[in-house]
Amino acid sequence: MAVPVIMPKLEMSQETATVVEWLKQEGEHVEKGEPLLMVETDKVTLEIDSPASGILAGVRVGPQQVVPVTEVIAYILQPGEELPREAEVPSPPPPPIPPLAATPVAQRLATARGVDLSAVVGTGPGGRITKADVEAVLAAPSRPAVEPPPEKVRATPAARRIARERGVDLLAVPGSGPQGRIQAADVLAFTRAPAVAPAPAAEVVPLQGMRRTIAERMTTSYRTAPHITFTVRVDMSGFKKARARLNARAEATGQPHVSATALIVKAVAWALKRHPWLNSTLRDEEIHLLPEINVGVAVALEEGLIVPVVHQADRKSVAEIAAEMNDLVTRAREGRLTPADVTGGTFTVSNLGPFGIEQFTAIINPPQAAILAVGATQLEPVVDEEGQVVVRPVMRMTLSADHRVVDGAMAARFLTDLREALETPTLLLW
Amino acid sequence: MRELSYAEAIREALRQEMQRDERVFIIGEDVGVYGGAFGVTLGLVEEFGEERVIDTPISELGIAGAITGAALTGMRPVGEIMFMDFTTLAMEQLVNQAAKIRFMFGGKAKVPFVLRTPAGSGTGAAAQHSQSLENWFVHVPGLKVVMPSTPYDAKGLLIASIRDDNPVIFIEHKLLYKVKGPVPEEPYTIPLSTAEVKREGRDLTIVATSIMVKRSLEAAEQLAQEGIEVEVVDPRTLKPLDEETIIRSVMKTGRVLIVHEACKTGGYGGELAALIAGSEAFDYLDAPIVRLAGRDMPIPYNRTLEYHTVPQVENIVEAARQLAQGRV
Repeated sequence: MAVPVIMPKLEMSQETATVVEWLKQEGEHVEKGEPLLMVETDKVTLEIDSPASGILAGVRVGPQQVVPVTEVIAYILQPGEELPREAEVPSPPPPPIPPLAATPVAQRLATARGVDLSAVVGTGPGGRITKADVEAVLAAPSRPAVEPPPEKVRATPAARRIARERGVDLLAVPGSGPQGRIQAADVLAFTRAPAVAPAPAAEVVPLQGMRRTIAERMTTSYRTAPHITFTVRVDMSGFKKARARLNARAEATGQPHVSATALIVKAVAWALKRHPWLNSTLRDEEIHLLPEINVGVAVALEEGLIVPVVHQADRKSVAEIAAEMNDLVTRAREGRLTPADVTGGTFTVSNLGPFGIEQFTAIINPPQAAILAVGATQLEPVVDEEGQVVVRPVMRMTLSADHRVVDGAMAARFLTDLREALETPTLLLW
Repeated sequence: MRELSYAEAIREALRQEMQRDERVFIIGEDVGVYGGAFGVTLGLVEEFGEERVIDTPISELGIAGAITGAALTGMRPVGEIMFMDFTTLAMEQLVNQAAKIRFMFGGKAKVPFVLRTPAGSGTGAAAQHSQSLENWFVHVPGLKVVMPSTPYDAKGLLIASIRDDNPVIFIEHKLLYKVKGPVPEEPYTIPLSTAEVKREGRDLTIVATSIMVKRSLEAAEQLAQEGIEVEVVDPRTLKPLDEETIIRSVMKTGRVLIVHEACKTGGYGGELAALIAGSEAFDYLDAPIVRLAGRDMPIPYNRTLEYHTVPQVENIVEAARQLAQGRV
């Protein structure tokens, strides 16, 4: 009689195990008690013995496949015996579909308006999706790729009411009740704290349009991406010489002036090509290394800022980048940028040098992995290779990187290459 | 003001109503010559005669049927069931007949009776003579349920119950019978469906019924020494309930402890908690609503076990303290 080989349950809470390898081939004879395959749980790897003597047949799962415990994974047959009927079609078990809890009205609304419920964050009891959750998705002007889950606040009804009445954000209030539950007294104490009492406003400007977009994107980025920052000092002597030479050429040929930013963008693109992880994006559980190097440049406007993108900057000459940036900046100030101009960025450069800022850190422009903050180039005393104090044009630049993707050493290697390219622009020919 | 015991206050209410209205009569087991199992009707048979103070055989269903029929035909009977436990024997008449008649006759018939019965543990009378079954009656539309906690309330509520045109289940407490308190001599009524704030406080509200009002007031006294000011609210009539007084108190204090002797599961506390949670007081709640009630078990005969089966003063103190200090 065919004896089924069953994926054993080895631990109390174990639900699946992974097949590491079969120690016997299909069709091979095996003795009862002889090691048959290796399996791996999240704690251990071990050999599973054959439950019977006979011929291994009907192997349903290969190496690295995850199998629910108690499932039949093969059979041991006697000579001349056939596989049981249900074993003939080895079909992988259907992936478990997590029950998606949604109220009837939420389901109806989602169906009617074409909302994918699996993408909706439920705020009802036990994460149940309510009508309001679906409406929130429908009302959102754009659906950001990475939405942080709403932070849960434990607060008594009275605390919530008082917070509502006084405009207090409960997220900021420390709770003194059981499990940190916020109680009425906590909210009252918070509103009495002088440090947070808002000063009277001279003018009230509604948070809307570009301001609102900036507020939302920066908050999302700062909350979701753990920022790490690295600052390096760059000797800009070579850079200045190279730029002067380029601009002499531009003047002679009647081409646009090459801004410092344009040359920095060129160098950044050059360095990104050598460090693809800085040119990536984190999507759910995956890091996507991006095929194009599209460098965004932050442009200050009256009402905020906008980041037009130099697409495929690594494939363009400095002259091309300079001309493109001239056009983008002009159109940005005139409000004539098209969606294509401001989308697809894979890395951002923010240059506050012209404003005289020596050094600053920037918040990553999501869903990118890093941003470069460029400071002013100023004459500074520097100790040169011979130990002499000399005056050199020095620029400080700070990289902010998403630590979920980029580690310190990786960022350091990128910055070292970038500094070298800025100090010795000849390298850009490499 | 002169003081009377809870039992004396009830007797006075009965006497004064029998003097005022000849349609009022008393019927029950041992209510006449013996004067009632707890002495509540002592002396009344001598004063009013056997026509108006009627001893019955041991048949609770008979008593319930007799007062239902008498009330229907114009009398204002006051029946007594010796122990609340035995109202179970009278259920058919009370639940299926008395409670339904006014409704089924489109208001053309009425059943103006009072059924008095003592509830509660603490006398060592064991599981079949110690229950608090008020919620069985609260559940039945057509019945009013009254549960006085003081001699003053007992007299005023009983007179109001006798004058009410609906069947009233009037639940007394065995341990309260000897408790004394000020009671005016002249007849007076306390309108049904009026709760009373028995003690004012700002830190939390205790809603308690029957003997638990007394224990809660003692607990409040102790807690006051610690600086915790407890407000004690007594619904007095469980049905129809004065919701307003309770909700107002909870809105004031933001914390509520419900105390009753009856078993917690299916008890009146669940009804009160749901009322509060669903009311405008919800937004004022600064802690979960807490119920302190009898354990879900029969009352044991053993006095120590009996003591620990239902809420005592120290249990109320502890629960109220936890709640007031934001530890719940």
